[in-house]
Formats: sequence, structure tokens, C-alpha cells
Amino acid sequence: MKKIAIGGGQGFWGDSPDAAIHMIRKADIQYLACDYLAELTLSIMARQKIKDPSKGFAPDFVTRLLKEVGREAFEKKIRLITNAGGMNVQGCVDSIKSWAEREKLSGYKIGYVTGDDIKEKIPKLISDGWEFPSMDTAGSDDTNGVSFEKIKDKIYNCNAYIGHEQIQKCIADGADTVITGRAADSALFLAPFAHEFGWADDDWDNLARGIMAGHLLECGGQGAGGNFMYDWRSVPDMVHLGFPIAELTEDSFEITKAPDCGGLITEQSVKEQFLYEVLDPSNYYTPDVNVDLSHATITQKGENRVSVAGIRGKKRPDTIKLCVGYHKGWKTVSMLSFAWPDAYEKAQYCSEVIMKKMKERGMKADDVHISFIGLDALHLGVADKSPETIARLNECVMRIAVFSEDKNECAKIIPEISPMQLNGPQGASFFGGRAHVQEVMALYPTVIPREALRVESHILTV
Amino acid sequence: MPRIFLYDIAHGRSGDKGDTSNVCVFARKPEVYKIILREVTPEKLKSYFGDMVRGDITRYEVESLSGMNFVMHHALGGGATMSLRLDSLGKSMGSAVMRMKIKVSDDELKGILANGMKLMPFEDPYEED
Repeated sequence: MKKIAIGGGQGFWGDSPDAAIHMIRKADIQYLACDYLAELTLSIMARQKIKDPSKGFAPDFVTRLLKEVGREAFEKKIRLITNAGGMNVQGCVDSIKSWAEREKLSGYKIGYVTGDDIKEKIPKLISDGWEFPSMDTAGSDDTNGVSFEKIKDKIYNCNAYIGHEQIQKCIADGADTVITGRAADSALFLAPFAHEFGWADDDWDNLARGIMAGHLLECGGQGAGGNFMYDWRSVPDMVHLGFPIAELTEDSFEITKAPDCGGLITEQSVKEQFLYEVLDPSNYYTPDVNVDLSHATITQKGENRVSVAGIRGKKRPDTIKLCVGYHKGWKTVSMLSFAWPDAYEKAQYCSEVIMKKMKERGMKADDVHISFIGLDALHLGVADKSPETIARLNECVMRIAVFSEDKNECAKIIPEISPMQLNGPQGASFFGGRAHVQEVMALYPTVIPREALRVESHILTV
Repeated sequence: MPRIFLYDIAHGRSGDKGDTSNVCVFARKPEVYKIILREVTPEKLKSYFGDMVRGDITRYEVESLSGMNFVMHHALGGGATMSLRLDSLGKSMGSAVMRMKIKVSDDELKGILANGMKLMPFEDPYEED
């Protein structure tokens, strides 16, 4: 029976390429798909592209992956699929073309998909009457009263989460590598399965299986023992952590990993990734299919091999999710460290002194968040702040974060931090250099009708 | 009734979508799933988190996995981009759920220990809030 294996080579932009390189060298796979885009990545790329039009994609795909194993993948006929194109698909394609020419890989086929970036179309869509309703992924309003009208002049990027169809077309047209912008993460993985098994665009149960294979792979190491709560101590050789591989046939779905690497594939490691960021398991919406996981089963089949079953699919939604990133304001984060004795009390008192000073300076902050690293900066209100715990603290870091729509207001706190070493409670230690004011970008969650998009596939032969 | 950390009988992972935190929770053994269903209700979680989670909490159960998803709105101080929190993505919301103290009967506690689950050190398991 035909079996197709796909590796998940990347969890985000900035992830290590080690596991992907290892998979190309050692794993029995036909495809490797690499996800570079988290929710905010496109806004960051959009800002880069404004400063330098040749930027705006993930160059790591070329400089860290193709350079290392691109030739080997080509020779072994392992095809690569990635959303590394980000905000500049053409720039990414050009960069791959230059690489292939340098490597003298004549006949190398680069497939790419355009049409996700619809920022230029916003005025037309508005005049056509589309209102860009605000909704979060669960369907309810989650924008704290922000309307599209208020943000439309401050937008960095506006991209649609496109599905698998045009990626599949590139594969069918013989692409050795397929580049996209904002394709849904799991669509990168569904496309090759749909191509190989000939699944129709309304074969919901099979499309749902392909999507969940992608879901289990799109976070890289997190699907193979990384970030593993069940028993982090039991994960072998984290130095060489492998990434997961999905193997599908017409009637089976298994997760495994490459030979000769660390990490683990167990019932528990697969479970933790399975419901990760899924929201309602009966209605996990993707551009390709509405997935129902509510009757799924996950079973250990052997060492580092787990079987997944019981996934069902329902008709895909009529609208497509948009990722809209816009300028929100400015923030700055300042820190000072304190040691025993009274580490927390001194840090806490120091934050009070600074905030009183800022009141005298007339700083107009829209939001201030004060926390204490070593005590409650992560678990906040549910951290253990008993007197015994506080008394035992060896050290504590005061952290003050300030947000303002006005950059100058935000900057007012910066020069007030380091003087506390000489003028504040005993033992304040300033580290990391002066704080900077950082731009804050926000996401506006909305949808558009499927018909408003024109997604197209292209092939460029080197 | 003895109290234990949820972590002793459960595991999971947290993720984010904007300002929404998604924490999945699985029973370490199928036998303890019903304890989690009884002890970790959306109401209890909401009162446990207080003003850390400003919106609604919904629980979605997946019995075939002995698991459930908690979807918590307005839970990340504005979310990835806007949050001023150190953990703006809510990576530690999973362990924040796991450090909730839950009540088990003496018989259930015996079962938990007999099933090989270990208890995290705890000041006084019989102490009341």
C-alpha cells in the first residue's frame, strides 16, 4: 500500500535547522515542510520590507537549510514546502534561484503561490461594502473595542490564511521547492498528501487527516519531546532533538521521527501537541476543512511510533481568516536585580520609588505592569507568595513595563532606572544596558469572503 | 479531604491566539480523568485565576483522549503583541493551571499512588484555604 512520509522541519522563524538537516540526511521521507510564520511574524517582516524592499522573508530557509542540504534533497527527490516567503515571496524565490544557479542545479523547479497579501485591495473591499467585522478565532469579539475604521490607516500587513489548493498545484507541476506567504501552517503539509492520494477538495475526512498530520508537525520539536510537560526528564538527547514525521496511507496515520536523533514520540508527547491551540476540538477551523477531533484516539504502536485515528472532517468555512497587523503604540521594559536579604521587599520598594518619581515627572502611560522575576513574573496572581517563600528568596528582579501611544511618554522612565543603584534600596544592580523603546504592533482578527481572493500558482525553472 | 496539585495527575500544554489562552489538560492515567472533570470546572478555574483572566473560560472535553481544552479569553494581558507581561505568549499558563490544588478522597489518593503517579512536595495536604 502506498505510504507517504513528511517531515516537519521548522517551528518558527528563528528555529534551529539542525533537525531538518538531519531528516534530509537520514530519514525516509518524500517531503519536508517548514513553517516559519507565527501570528506576528508577518508584521515584523512587513516593517523590514518598508525599510529595505529586498527583505521581508525568512532568508534562513536559503542560508541555513538549502545551503546545507538543498542539493542532497534535490538528488534524493525530497521536495520542500515552506511559507518562508512571508511578506516577500518574490524576494524569497529570487534568493532560491541565485542559490540553485550557484549550485548549478539546472532544471531546478521553484513553485510559488501568490495572492495572500491583500493590503492593496482594502480600499476596494471597503467600497464594495465589506466591513471587516472583528472576531477572534472562537468567533466572539476580542478586540477590546477596536474597530477596523480606527486602524485602517495604521496597517502594516493584511494577509489571508490561504489553503492547500495552489500549493498542491505547484507540486503537481513538478516543483522541487514550493514557496508561499501566509498559507495556513497545516496547509503546507496537507498539500503533498492530497496530491499523492488524489483527495478531492470536498473529501472532508481525508483532508482533516492531512491537516492534523500538519498540526502535529508544524511546531517542529514541540511534537517530539520539546516543551514536554508529562515528563521532561525522560526526553533522550535534547542536544540532537529530532522533529516529528507523519506517515500516511489511505487508512493509517502514524507519527514517528528520524533514526539516530534525540527526542521522543509517545502517546503523551503527541497528545500535548494534538490539542495545542485548537480551541474547540469539535470545530477546528482551517481554510481547507473544519476538523472534528472530539472522537480521536492516540495509541502507542512501538518505540517512537504512535497511531492517530478517529479524525473527522466537515465542510470548510465560507470565509477566510485574515491576519491584520497594525501600529498600536510603544513600550519599554526596565529591570533591576536585588539579592538576599529582603530581595523581594527591596525590589518592591524600589518599584514604588520609581513610580512616584514618574508621577512627579508627569509620565502619561496608558498601561504599566510591574512584576518580580524569581517570584511572580510568570505565574502572576497564582504564584506562591507566602511569607516563607519570600523570606527564602536568594534574589529577585524588579521588572517595570510601560505602554504608551506616545513614544516620548514611554521613554521618560528609561533614565530613572540606573540611578537607583546609588540612590535606591540596598544592592540594586543594573544589567543589560539602557532600555529601549520598542514599537508595539497589534493584530486585528477578522475574515473576508473566499471569493475576494485570487490565489495563483507559478513555476520558475532554473 | 487530602489536597494535591493538579500536576500530580495531569499534564498538558498552553498556547495563544491573540489575547486568548488555550490550555489542554490530559489525565496521566485514564482512571483519574473523572477526578479532573469534577475538580477543574471552568467556574473553579475562573475563581482561581481571578483578575489574571478577565474573560470567559470554556471547557471542551475529549473523552477519547482523557483530555480537555480550556479556552480562556482576555487571559494574556492583551496578547503576544500588546502584553506587558514577561510571558506574553502564555507559555507558562499551562503550569499555572497545573499548580491548582484539587481535592481527592482518601481512596482516590490511594489509587493515584498505586497507579505510579508521584506527588509534588506540599506544605500541608490537609490545610484548608
